[in-house]
Amino acid sequence: MESLAILAILLGLMFVLLGLGTWIGLSLMAVAAIAIDVFAGRPAGDSIATTIWSSSSSWMLTALPMFIWMGDILLCTKLSEDLFRGLAPLMGRIPGGLLHTNVMGCTLFGSVSGSSAATLTTVAKMTLPELKKRNYPEPLIIGTLAGPATLGLMIPPSIIMVVYGVMTNESIAAINIAGVIPGLVLALMFSGYIVWKAKTLKNYAPDVEPQVSFIEKLKASRRLIPVVLLLVLVIGSMFAGYATATESAAVGVAGSFFLAWWQKTLTWKSFSDSLMSATLTSAMIALILAAAASLSLAMGFLGLPEALAAKVGGLGLSPFMLIMCLTVMYIVLGCFLDGISCVALTIAIIEPLVRQAGIDMIWFGIYIVLVVEMAQITPPVGFNLFVLQSMTGHNMFRIAKWAAPQFAIMAAMVFILIAVPGLATWLPSQMIAPRL
Amino acid sequence: MAYAALDRAPTARKTFLPLALMRRALDALYLWSAYLAAAAMVIVLLVTLAQIVTRYGHITVTGLSDYAGYFMAASAFLAFAHALNRGAHVRIELILSIAGRYRYAAEVLSFSLGALISGWFAYYACRMVWWSWKYGDISTGLDATPLWIPQLSMAFGSVLFAVAIADQLLRLVLTGAHSVPVSETVE
Repeated sequence: MESLAILAILLGLMFVLLGLGTWIGLSLMAVAAIAIDVFAGRPAGDSIATTIWSSSSSWMLTALPMFIWMGDILLCTKLSEDLFRGLAPLMGRIPGGLLHTNVMGCTLFGSVSGSSAATLTTVAKMTLPELKKRNYPEPLIIGTLAGPATLGLMIPPSIIMVVYGVMTNESIAAINIAGVIPGLVLALMFSGYIVWKAKTLKNYAPDVEPQVSFIEKLKASRRLIPVVLLLVLVIGSMFAGYATATESAAVGVAGSFFLAWWQKTLTWKSFSDSLMSATLTSAMIALILAAAASLSLAMGFLGLPEALAAKVGGLGLSPFMLIMCLTVMYIVLGCFLDGISCVALTIAIIEPLVRQAGIDMIWFGIYIVLVVEMAQITPPVGFNLFVLQSMTGHNMFRIAKWAAPQFAIMAAMVFILIAVPGLATWLPSQMIAPRL
Repeated sequence: MAYAALDRAPTARKTFLPLALMRRALDALYLWSAYLAAAAMVIVLLVTLAQIVTRYGHITVTGLSDYAGYFMAASAFLAFAHALNRGAHVRIELILSIAGRYRYAAEVLSFSLGALISGWFAYYACRMVWWSWKYGDISTGLDATPLWIPQLSMAFGSVLFAVAIADQLLRLVLTGAHSVPVSETVE
């Protein structure tokens, strides 16, 4: 059978399985098994079992539970309160006022947490009630939380970048470092939007913050020291080549425990809760990754990605057009799947395509994180929308409407990233090789 | 909602002692397996920290990263079943939620498929470990561990995962509802 027809059948089968509500990991595994057994005519079970074992016991993967755990420990510290109390006096008087604590809070917390939902929960817990109390327009409060919270994915450490690195065999540390500049540019754009809204919105009349003296600002910003220290410890050790991604994650876990202990929030309960929650999350991602590895194996047996790459290569698409097509595909996929599943499902098939087009894999990693970020705020399946729905009680589609400008900002960022690829690739090229 | 009420309907386990015992045994097994998984994760942390200390202290300990990998695998596989019961594994519930009166049938179908796939995988996972033991496969890394030992976590975890899905399927068929909560937000 023609290989593209096989690909179509397999994709159809996958969407049926996923649509029925079969667990994503198991759906991928079933498609891999059928691909190998039926279409490649080889016994599938043994090769899949071997592949899954070697991918699940890979040392690279250990960065995953560590980054997840670090975020979970920080959730039970006073970090969220510290962020708000430390940032508010600094932001109070600029146009847009405390709305900027949303963006800055998410940027800072994103740099110690690998997940978007955790970033959102932590920051929103504090800013939602405080901003409402001060009469900021609610659509703006919620919109400027939903978008910037996705920075948790872009700014290292990032769980989804570990997933991408494991799947493409690229350096996890390099991809994480590559996210720093695009993350900061995005944060600037989010802030710029707030300033613009504050100047132009008609019924924008929040309470005016009291004047704060410089000394008091300095005093308040002391509360930010723990976050900044953790950030330097984790990102700095990765950048300067003192530690591999896994090691810097482990140091981050230790640092987070120290912080929790120092703030006296480290109890047996908070320890065991964070441990169990991180274990379950990491198991869930490991299942998807294991299944994705078996899918890669199946695709390799059938030579489908190469066939697809050849076909698309024959179309004479420019890399720009290719990226545009992929962007549309990811936005559609992102409406129904979470980010990690999006990556797991597609990388096995499109990696050769992307490599053949001469696209840098680190750059592509940042690009994919960006489009997956957009998927976090697209209905009907967008995790940030779920979180905000349960925190505010508003309907998800209304929240999505409020977050639409943030979606547009991220879409604009895709074009900026295409125009200036150095945003993603320059910083990793400056990394110091690991002194191992 | 009638569907939720079914969840609290009297079940077979309250009326028939051997079933009740089995229920408790299985639940304990899922939970203790997850405790082991959590312990494995703590070991991953300790091994990784030990790696840093040994490198900067110029102490040579071979195979640390291989051990970290084995415990990583254990922490994943041993937690699969409990993760299922806690709703951690993601599935798309969009169609299920709009399926209306076909929801029950769709749930039965998706749990059956899940049980089938996980059962199939569990069989081959066990087979792989058996062959590793039989041929005395040894890790290609510096640790030279007989591979069947760390691989046991994969065999046990995937069997327990399949059992957990079958368990939920049975509950769904017998009582009209499974106890898997809606997948939580993770990312």
